[in-house]
Amino acid sequence: MYRIWQIFDPRRTLIALFAFLFTLAILIHFILLSTAKYNWLEGATAAPAAAQQMAPLPAGK
Amino acid sequence: MAEEKKTSLSGLTEQEAKEFHSIFVSSFLGFTAIAVVAHILVWAWRPWL
Repeated sequence: MYRIWQIFDPRRTLIALFAFLFTLAILIHFILLSTAKYNWLEGATAAPAAAQQMAPLPAGK
Repeated sequence: MAEEKKTSLSGLTEQEAKEFHSIFVSSFLGFTAIAVVAHILVWAWRPWL
C-alpha cells in the first residue's frame, strides 16, 4: 500500500486532501447550522418551535 | 538509464514512501478517532435515527 506514494506526490496529495476535508467540514457544519435541530448556536429553543409548526389544524377547521 | 530505475513517478524511494506512509496512516487513524468521538458526542446530544 505504501507504494501509492511512489505514484502520487505526497505534497500534492496532502494539499488536495486537506483542501477537500476542509471544504467538506465547512459544508457539513453550515448544513447543520441551517437545521433547527442541530443548530448549536441558536440552542434548544429552535427544536420545539419546529415541532409546533407540525401541530394539527386549530379546532373548527 | 540505470539511475532512472531508482526514481519513481513521484520521485520517492521505497524507503521514503514507507516512512511517509507510516506517518500518513497514524495521522489518518488519529483523525478517524477524533471523528468517532465527535459522532458519539453528537449522538448522545441528539440522535439522528
